[in-house]
Amino acid sequence: MMMQRTTRLQGKKRQKTPWSAYLYVFPMVVLMGVFIYYPIFVNFYYTLYNFSAFSLSHTFVGLGNIRLLLSDPVIATALRNNIFYCLISIGFQVLLALGLAFILEEPLYRRFSTVFRTTYFIPVLISMTIVAMLFMQILSPRGLLNSFLSLFGGKVRTGWLGRSSSAIFCAIFMSQWHSMGYTTMLFIVDIQKIPTELLEAAEIDGANRIQRFLKIVVPLVREMFFVVMVTTVSGAFLVFNDVYVLTRGGPGNSSTTLAVYMYDMAFTQDRMGYASTIAILMFVICVILALTQRRLLRTGKG
Amino acid sequence: MKKVTCSVKKKKIGFPKFNSSRNQWTLGTVIILFFLLVYFVLVIYPLIWMILSSLKTEREFFRNIWGFPAEFQWENYSKAWSMGISDYFLNSVFVTACTIATTISIAVLAAFGLVLYDFKGKNLILLLGMGGMMFSAQVALIPLYRVIQNLRIHDTYWAMILPYTAFRMSISLLLIRSYFLSIPREMYESGVIDGCSSLGILYHIYLPMSKPILLTVSILIAYYSWNEFLFSIIFIDSRALKTIPSGLMVFRDALNTDYALLFAGLTISALPMVLLFILMQKQFIRGLSSGAVKG
Amino acid sequence: MKRIIALLLAFMMVLSLTTTITASAEEKIKLTFFHRWPNEPKGPYMDEVIRKFEEAYPNIDIVVIDPVLNDSYKEKIRVLIGSSDIPDVFMSWSGSFGANLVKSGRVLPLDDMIAANPEWSGKIIDSQWGPFQYDGKQYGIPWSMDGKVFYYNKTVFVELGLQEPDTWDEFITVLKTLQENGYPHPISAGFQAEWAVSHYLGAMVQRRVDPDVVTKDYALEGDFTDQGYVDTLNSFLELKEYMNEDPNSVDHSFARNLFIDGESVLCLMQLAEIKRVEDGADFEYSFFDMPALPGGLGDPDELEGAPEGMMISAECEHPEAAAEFVRFFISEENGALMTKMTGELSCVEGAVNPDSVSTPIQLDAVELIKKASGTTLWQDNAVDATVASAFMKGGQLLYTGDKTAEQVMEDVRAALELAKQK
Repeated sequence: MMMQRTTRLQGKKRQKTPWSAYLYVFPMVVLMGVFIYYPIFVNFYYTLYNFSAFSLSHTFVGLGNIRLLLSDPVIATALRNNIFYCLISIGFQVLLALGLAFILEEPLYRRFSTVFRTTYFIPVLISMTIVAMLFMQILSPRGLLNSFLSLFGGKVRTGWLGRSSSAIFCAIFMSQWHSMGYTTMLFIVDIQKIPTELLEAAEIDGANRIQRFLKIVVPLVREMFFVVMVTTVSGAFLVFNDVYVLTRGGPGNSSTTLAVYMYDMAFTQDRMGYASTIAILMFVICVILALTQRRLLRTGKG
Repeated sequence: MKKVTCSVKKKKIGFPKFNSSRNQWTLGTVIILFFLLVYFVLVIYPLIWMILSSLKTEREFFRNIWGFPAEFQWENYSKAWSMGISDYFLNSVFVTACTIATTISIAVLAAFGLVLYDFKGKNLILLLGMGGMMFSAQVALIPLYRVIQNLRIHDTYWAMILPYTAFRMSISLLLIRSYFLSIPREMYESGVIDGCSSLGILYHIYLPMSKPILLTVSILIAYYSWNEFLFSIIFIDSRALKTIPSGLMVFRDALNTDYALLFAGLTISALPMVLLFILMQKQFIRGLSSGAVKG
Repeated sequence: MKRIIALLLAFMMVLSLTTTITASAEEKIKLTFFHRWPNEPKGPYMDEVIRKFEEAYPNIDIVVIDPVLNDSYKEKIRVLIGSSDIPDVFMSWSGSFGANLVKSGRVLPLDDMIAANPEWSGKIIDSQWGPFQYDGKQYGIPWSMDGKVFYYNKTVFVELGLQEPDTWDEFITVLKTLQENGYPHPISAGFQAEWAVSHYLGAMVQRRVDPDVVTKDYALEGDFTDQGYVDTLNSFLELKEYMNEDPNSVDHSFARNLFIDGESVLCLMQLAEIKRVEDGADFEYSFFDMPALPGGLGDPDELEGAPEGMMISAECEHPEAAAEFVRFFISEENGALMTKMTGELSCVEGAVNPDSVSTPIQLDAVELIKKASGTTLWQDNAVDATVASAFMKGGQLLYTGDKTAEQVMEDVRAALELAKQK
């Protein structure tokens, strides 16, 4: 119906003042063209060169940067870390958050749920820089975590951020702490749209809590589930702030991610061409995910 | 889906409200409650610790990590505020306000043009406008850095406002456009009859009707630009222009080891969004959830 | 409709104007000045000297470009040097950083100015000129000097009858003794920020590796295959068992705090940090230079730590005024003020004197610098960033046990290849 309406309207306007239509969209087109599309386009060209941010000389290297990318062990580390990020985030921010949302919407817990979900949401409101600086102190050898662990005996002075085995997981768990309340809230909003009658009826039919969750809630929040899934996954592959502030990718490059490594190449080592190549890798991952999202949403709706 | 709903409704008619098993405590439900409490503590305790630590002296912070401060050091807050947080704070407010203003103006104009007119290339422009959502800033950072330099806006407020506007454009356009689509076109026609220009119609009819969506979009933009970090560390060098997320890095370096002061700074910086949330909880959640679903 | 478009346009223009309006033209000579200390204590010091200068020279107006911290400064000064609005006077590190600026051809050689003012230039400590000489010309005037040394808790040393070590073996013996006497972690270190690693490695490489090889390698003309590098890294690793747990997890200021709190007995710090230590420590302390390494081919009397200095733009319209400003800044009086206000050591002879120091230890520091046979540049200033980063990251990974010294050097050689391609 809406389609008809707009078409009719558009038909009417067509002859009148098409030029003013262009005026309306002009600022947006210019802005997005300059700040989004032009850079994406030029980035492909940049990968063919080695250059510094401060000189005009470019050295043509052809596919050299791409070859370097494929053989760079740090890229492998970064990808591995991004994948850890992704898997753990799916566990917490998608699966666990959905379960949590369901529980908080259960009548049994309703009297506490406002307090809980509001509290769980607070970290979302706090900028990642602040959270990371807070966690640096919590995780430091003399920090809160170690003094808590010391209660169970012994003097614990582990430098969680200084070991290559634990640094990236510190960042990942910090990120869950920060964002789980957000996805939980999204699921809650969606679950609230489910008619209560539906759940009550299922109960009369003898469905227990788990069955109700799997048979009714999960199918009905499917669309939101895909959305959260894709944002979580792409967030995990683009993550920058968390790691940059908490560990700067260290020790060595052990906790680096694609975005942090790109930043490092571009702005501390001044290897702009290679940094652009890393950006291309992220671009490809991004596009694949966006396409997946569209496909999933379509099936989700169908 | 519709069918299920219908049949449920039918069923419900026959049954009065009953006391369901969903309201009975069992061992399992108590264990779940326990975990909810654990998560609750995990979230709230670090925040309380942050606030308590911000009221300690530097020595207390090191020596007495758990305890209460012997005496509340309120002056940590005034010190942190005057040591730079005030500047970052005002910059954040300014940049956020400007980003909201520019994003909304440009998105409203574009949405209006796209809803009311039919013109050549419209679909392409719509696609480009929405397509921005697919890309995040990281994927073309180096050329963007060059663009900022070549426009000679590196290290000015514009180096944040314009990219923020560009990267928030798609979601704003999408939300505003779909809202405009739901406004009956009779409103437009009555405006034409009253002799309004099309911009007049936008200003006098569409905008007043769109207040809720504009509020939602504003919150979405504010949340983004208040927290944005990547652009603000790369495009801004001057301390005087830094916003809170990047300014805190300078603040930390300047302090050396006075963590109590650092925590005071962190607490001040965290406050505005928490307050905004408390004041406008409903709109806030609506804003963020519509941002997620569509974006 | 037009009115609203006009309004929108006006709104945009007002916004853009606010950022472009600058001071209108004036009669006075205007000098732009760029430094990197927005914060206490150096920020207020700079402001104070500028105020004094403007009072003494009412016809000259100093316009300070908003100062930015370390890394941003490095980036921004390079941008400015490449642009048309290069500042008239600016601060620079010595070594390769200064060399890069000079390479642009837009930095003014100062030999004439130095020769014309022998009384002024004669007061600057001799050893500090060298790091600002490029191709036989003097491009920077040294302003503050520094040195990286092991601070030690003298009270503990005296108690246990320990001497300042000269050689590596003596050093290790001292550490062992300390460990046996109630100090399980005698050295405190914080390597979370990479530069802290490079300060260890820079000094140690200088001690161990043949100076000719180092010069060639750092200039990217060598191949970093000398066995000395591997030995250096292994010596560095030897210190791990005497350090606080996981030094990678804490930053340098945390390590300094451990020293001040008396938990550690030694800490590698800059002489410029004396004031910070002085404010907190309730024990006697002193310092010694990095000990000689076994098999070392470098001069063990060199001191790591290059001066910072001032440069003048070759495009400055009023070079005399700029020179006047530099001479005013780097003078006995204002050098003394610097030492007094910031604890940094001025390069001007006599500026660090009993009146300007906050502790006599600062006088010892100047003696130590003067006594040194030469200056070892900070490693991260002495060599290309990619190579320096391979050393620093390698040092961290050596400590986590992820890499051996040989593997670190392989990474350094790989970085060398990349650096050559730049």
